[in-house]
Amino acid sequence: MSKLENTFLKIGSVDRRWIFIIIAFVVIIPLLVPIGMPIRATDTSKDVYDAIESLPKGSKFLLSIEYSPSTKPENHPMAISILRHLFRNEHMVYVTCLWPDGQFMAQDALSQVAKGEFGKIYGKDYVLLGYRPGGEAVVKGIVSNIRKLYSVDSRQTKVDEIPMMDGITNFEDFAFLFSVSAGYPGTIEWVQYAADPTGVPMSSGVTSIQVNEVMPYVQSGQMVGVLAGMPGAAEYEALIGDKGTATSGMDAQSIAHLVIVLFIVLGNTAYFIERRKAKKY
Amino acid sequence: MESSAVLGGWVATFLTIAIFSYLYKDNPFYKIAEHLFVGISAGYLFSLGFWTQLQPNLFGRLFPAKHYDPDTIIYSIYNVLSIFFSSIFPEGGIDKGHDQHLIYLLPLVLGIMMLLSLVPSLSWMARWGIAYIVGMAAGLRAYGYLSSNVIGQIKGTAVNLFDFSLPVFSISSPSIFNNIIIITGTITGLLYFYFSKEHKGALGTATKIGINFLMISFGASFGFAVMGRISLLIGRFTDLIKFSGADYNYATFWVLFSVIVFLAYAAFKDKNRNNSPNDIQEYSLEEE
Repeated sequence: MSKLENTFLKIGSVDRRWIFIIIAFVVIIPLLVPIGMPIRATDTSKDVYDAIESLPKGSKFLLSIEYSPSTKPENHPMAISILRHLFRNEHMVYVTCLWPDGQFMAQDALSQVAKGEFGKIYGKDYVLLGYRPGGEAVVKGIVSNIRKLYSVDSRQTKVDEIPMMDGITNFEDFAFLFSVSAGYPGTIEWVQYAADPTGVPMSSGVTSIQVNEVMPYVQSGQMVGVLAGMPGAAEYEALIGDKGTATSGMDAQSIAHLVIVLFIVLGNTAYFIERRKAKKY
Repeated sequence: MESSAVLGGWVATFLTIAIFSYLYKDNPFYKIAEHLFVGISAGYLFSLGFWTQLQPNLFGRLFPAKHYDPDTIIYSIYNVLSIFFSSIFPEGGIDKGHDQHLIYLLPLVLGIMMLLSLVPSLSWMARWGIAYIVGMAAGLRAYGYLSSNVIGQIKGTAVNLFDFSLPVFSISSPSIFNNIIIITGTITGLLYFYFSKEHKGALGTATKIGINFLMISFGASFGFAVMGRISLLIGRFTDLIKFSGADYNYATFWVLFSVIVFLAYAAFKDKNRNNSPNDIQEYSLEEE
């Protein structure tokens, strides 16, 4: 028994850099040799899909991009999948950004999906209004009068000269809002200053770390579903039947989680053995 | 493949590995990547903020092309500015579709006052701008929090315990069991933060239940945080795998090899340097 206890104690005091190396291998190997674990959509992801699917063709859809390259692996697949779904259903997409880096993330996603995959026309099928600094003040501005805030789009074209901006004066002119968010300002500000006061339905795709913060708004019906981190993105890819980068990362994600759980169990076992020994003496 | 894409791949690989090298220990590669990140982020944020907000929405409203008249005082100032900063103040006024609103002089002045915090003798002026921002943000947020976080969440947790149209038990959809959990968790969780009475007796039991709900919530947050970090690691490794191919001239392998060799050499030198004073001390002690 003491031999086993000593082994646990040794594991408990291993240099943390060994753990980093193990995690690195655990993540790299499934990326090189995919297993293809099944992905089953959760109710919250299905709700997002159903809400977008139920919009009538040609709806005016506001997509807000609030993330930077630092959370690209989680948020970018969501933005791409949502755009694919929207263009497939022939909706008109208006893109705004509350984060400065969001603008080139949006440009990247739009050039891949709108231009590259669907051959959509800028100004007629989609428009990138771009970034405006101010956080919740920008959200308030969009709610009250979007034209005051966005006199020009990201290409410096006057919004009056953009055909699809006809009839758009404030937030209530949109049928739905989807916020791809990695923090402040983001989903919560959209709920507080746009969706709740106007009643326009909204949903969101958030990083894993935000899920706990955002979930109460979903449970209370203030938001229609949520895409939760990379698994949420992978689930949405499965729902629209278009596998992408999130799906390919899910094997590594699942195996890494198992290994981390194992580390937690081993670490706690070592801790309890150590505590018991300390009490004895 | 375009040479710019290959170069971009090499830069991305170097910066990724430089940041990861911190897991071994603090080193010059990490410092380079860290400083580059901070500098580029600040520059990008400033440039984007200026060209998307200040230039079109502030200057565009003070000097709109629509109302351009070189004989007025304001456009005379504009024309002087135009000589020095023609890209910001183009000839004939700024054409961003705005009418002239001189009220925007107020934010301009407040903005300049905030910049005066850099001048110690005039730094007090910055307080005006800060006071405006704090007041505006407090007013704006008070409303948002009250309607969405207080009223909205109270509505969300005010569930009917005796709604017998619901199933008794269900994990993901509304059920009587879930409603009991919501009500118990909300009340006991709130009671935990009630400090006006000692947590003993019935209150003590309730707060103990409350802290367990809080712990489960923290555990879920920790789990999601781990999931998020692993997702980001997957993103970086996916790129490193991509850049390790022949298209990018095996960037990952070369950069990784170079960084490891450099760090190993530095560690070896450090070890020698740390050993040398002891050696001298030992030698001198032996001599004595």
